[in-house]
Amino acid sequence: MRGFSWSRTIIYGFLFLVTLAVLIPVLNLVAMSFSDPERVSELSGLGILPKGFSLINYEIILSNPLILRSIGNSIFITIVGTCLNLFLTAMSAYVLARTDFIGKKIVLVFLIAIMVFEPSMITEYLFMRNLGLLDTYASLILYKAINVYYLFILMRFFKEIPMSLIEAARIDGAGHFKIFTSIVLPLSKPALATLTLFYGVYHWNEYFRATIYITSQEKWPLQVVLRQFVVTQDNTTMLQGMNMSPELLASLDFGSLQAGTIIIAVIPLLLLYPLILKYFTKGTMDGGEKD
Amino acid sequence: MRVKLKRMREDWVIYFMILPAIVFFAMFHVIPIIEMKLAFQNYRIIGENTWVGLKHFEILFSSPAFKDVLWNTVIISTMKIIFIFPIPVVLSLLINEVRSGTYRKYVQSISYLPHFLSWVVIAGIWISFLAPDGGVNIIRNFFQLPSIDYMTSKEHIRWVIVFSEMWRSAGWDSILYIAAIMKISPSLYEAAKLDGASTLQQMRFITLPALASTVVTVFILNLGFFMNAGFDQVFNLMNDSVISKIDILDTYVYRIGLLNGQYAYATAASLFKGVIGLFLILGTHFFSKKMTGKGVW
Repeated sequence: MRGFSWSRTIIYGFLFLVTLAVLIPVLNLVAMSFSDPERVSELSGLGILPKGFSLINYEIILSNPLILRSIGNSIFITIVGTCLNLFLTAMSAYVLARTDFIGKKIVLVFLIAIMVFEPSMITEYLFMRNLGLLDTYASLILYKAINVYYLFILMRFFKEIPMSLIEAARIDGAGHFKIFTSIVLPLSKPALATLTLFYGVYHWNEYFRATIYITSQEKWPLQVVLRQFVVTQDNTTMLQGMNMSPELLASLDFGSLQAGTIIIAVIPLLLLYPLILKYFTKGTMDGGEKD
Repeated sequence: MRVKLKRMREDWVIYFMILPAIVFFAMFHVIPIIEMKLAFQNYRIIGENTWVGLKHFEILFSSPAFKDVLWNTVIISTMKIIFIFPIPVVLSLLINEVRSGTYRKYVQSISYLPHFLSWVVIAGIWISFLAPDGGVNIIRNFFQLPSIDYMTSKEHIRWVIVFSEMWRSAGWDSILYIAAIMKISPSLYEAAKLDGASTLQQMRFITLPALASTVVTVFILNLGFFMNAGFDQVFNLMNDSVISKIDILDTYVYRIGLLNGQYAYATAASLFKGVIGLFLILGTHFFSKKMTGKGVW
């Protein structure tokens, strides 16, 4: 390198501004949520350090039965949904990538047809209603139980497993299910980790199907509650079921409460972010995931 | 025939393993598609639906509201293609110039982050940041410009859509281009340096041409999803003051169908969008296959 270079300095500086543009709006909300409610009005819209320090916003948010239950609901839907996604996707990917059977071509064409034409949200809703699945978690877990794009990504991973291993197991008399569970799955841990994150992030962030399928408030996932609070600006729903003194109520800052709720919805993603970066990036570069 | 049947019987485990997927797709994907025949029917709560032919489509195409949402969809998608599509390409070129591994990692990890946030969260962040006393207006005030209430401004809301989408996806979408740049042989750059090529010349004559096919593929594939225009985004950033500017096909279907209960009419609008989308995706797929060898599948 030739030491100082103007063009490089400008590039580094510009990229730094890009990262600031991503970070400041988020850090501003973090600062807002930790600020003392009496001093939060002093916080500038660009500020990233809280004014004073207080956990009162989080205490209130986490003592709200609706939010608390919705966090539990989201965790439940994410875990059960992702397990079902993984099981169905992996088993189908094994069959399509590693076996040969009569009718396989038809199945593949069928899957591609599914990729190019999405049903209407109206008929999907009516179908869920006819099945009696409205207002059940099953509707959220079964909707998109297999994502065709992810299925194709996993098939590509499975195809890389050496044929000799599978042949050896076949000679030892292992059936397809045995080969799938005891050879293919253990050898595909990174691929399965990638898919776990793909599906997990999807379930955690899902709000639309929950908005239309789930009518009972106590079954709402966190994203729906968050939307009600932050997008619809419905403060009454947010405060119901909470016993607060009029003084406490008067001292609340709704902007800060919203900020805190947003941060809570983001925390699981931030905790997993190192893993997400590692596996998502690889999965995307290999598979060309696009949404 | 008998040989085939015998083989199928021997392979029963395989069919058993693929069966759940087939049943799943048949139920949750194929049935709702077949049910879109509702577009040609009148919806009845009790009893069989009655066939009405193209009635809903006639109403749809003569409705000014539908023309508006169609126009909004086209204009928002077009704005996104013009203003957002080039950004990840530029970003990947810039990131490629970063020699320090740590700084590069920092830029990449931060710029990818918004891709993983839900639109509910992003809407929350932006509503706060674009508020009259939010960050953007503080910058405006610094330059002696008056504050703007972006979220309720008919003039600005489409730009809010464009910039929030850019904020969310520009970093992440640069991944494909960065991957393509990493495949370029370092010897090309070394040879160029020996010939005295500047950084800019290397970018212009080595990196950009190597990126061209990826850029074309991504561009064509994006066209295939032209009719979507970003439902989740609009759904969360919309409010009554700006609905006329950003109401798109999908939000229209949601409102007239699921909120107003005009199921059949909304399904007709959905079907219209779906058929155009189908032609776009098939068209772009085969075009892209021919041009670049890469398709949607």
